[in-house]
Amino acid sequence: MRILLAEDEAQLARVLKLAMTNTGYQVDAVDNGQKAVELAQKNAYDVMILDIMMPVKDGVTALKEIRARGDRTYVIMLTAMTEVDDRVNGLDAGADDYITKPFSLKELLARLRSRERRSSRFDDRDLQFKDLALNSEEQVVESHNSISLTREETQMLAYLILNAGKQLSASDLRHHVWGADATTVDDEDVWITISYLRQKLQSIQSTTQISGAKGGPYTLKE
Amino acid sequence: MSIYGQYEDDLTTVLTDVEEKIRQLNQTTVADHQPKLYEHLIGRVKDPASMVEKCQRKNYPVTTEAALRRCHDAVGVRLVCNFISDISRCRAELARAPWCTIVKEKDYITNAKPNGYRSYHLILDVVEPFADVTGANPGHFFVEIQLRTIAMDSWASLEHELKYKHDIKNPERIGRELKRCADQLASCDVQMQTIRQLIQEG
Repeated sequence: MRILLAEDEAQLARVLKLAMTNTGYQVDAVDNGQKAVELAQKNAYDVMILDIMMPVKDGVTALKEIRARGDRTYVIMLTAMTEVDDRVNGLDAGADDYITKPFSLKELLARLRSRERRSSRFDDRDLQFKDLALNSEEQVVESHNSISLTREETQMLAYLILNAGKQLSASDLRHHVWGADATTVDDEDVWITISYLRQKLQSIQSTTQISGAKGGPYTLKE
Repeated sequence: MSIYGQYEDDLTTVLTDVEEKIRQLNQTTVADHQPKLYEHLIGRVKDPASMVEKCQRKNYPVTTEAALRRCHDAVGVRLVCNFISDISRCRAELARAPWCTIVKEKDYITNAKPNGYRSYHLILDVVEPFADVTGANPGHFFVEIQLRTIAMDSWASLEHELKYKHDIKNPERIGRELKRCADQLASCDVQMQTIRQLIQEG
């Protein structure tokens, strides 16, 4: 992962950079918010770690500017233990997580590992269940044969695979595939997508199947 | 004289006869208020030069006997269907028909070829009131039937162009694109099939 670190305490910055570099991450360290904004504009990062109290430009202002440009990179804020408002402001400005100072290096590295697992292409894009292999990027599912999927089918199948064996309600599937505020979509659309997926699983001779009658709940199982 | 010897004209007779019988199957089905079995039908007697080439490729002797008994596709009929389910309906009708016996089947729809080819192949043994190459009378003739959807048929035409054009710059890339296209067409076939079912379920 490539990480941007903005921390003005030289001693702490040096320790953090060393630890993360030793872990195998590529780290760019800066000592104020303005430099962070500039680097964020120039380079693609997987994670940004921003201290809140920094000279020239503070972390929250820097984050607001980074987000205002449409950058959706995962951001962890470093905040003082006592300042609840800092944490709230940071999250409201678009931070994804925060760590309160003083913090243990072990915890920061564990959070980065957790982030890495979440974002790895293997976990997100290539899913396996029994004889099924779903390639979300190519929108293809393969078993004995392979067949193309639409965006909706791909996302629904991914969600079914990630929750295989569980009963999933129609509204649950609807929210995960179309989003919570999709007003033009109803449970009938969920049913039609389930019907397509069923026929497609059958056409590639998969041993898996989606159980459940019209209206749900639906379960992917063997 | 061609590789088919004295049977060349008989093969045309067999072809015409089988085509006519399949048309009758369709007419009976439609008269029974069922959807038509297929969208269209085409038949051909394999070009004698292609048959010679095939015998050589398969290490068979280049003889009339090999062309008519060891090869099974001297006479071929393709039924192009609207929907995947029509393919199994066609197969069922042929299995029921008294004038032929299914002697071999290859399901390249369930087991698509690695390049993406999808089709259902049947070899029929058809009995005709004239002698075959073994001297038997009534005679037995093999007819290859290919069942596929319109999408599978279009794809096969495209793939055929690739196969017989040898000066393509990047055949691997075109092959990958064809495979991707086959998966998408299979998706469309399944989608139409599903919509049809949803309509029928009301």
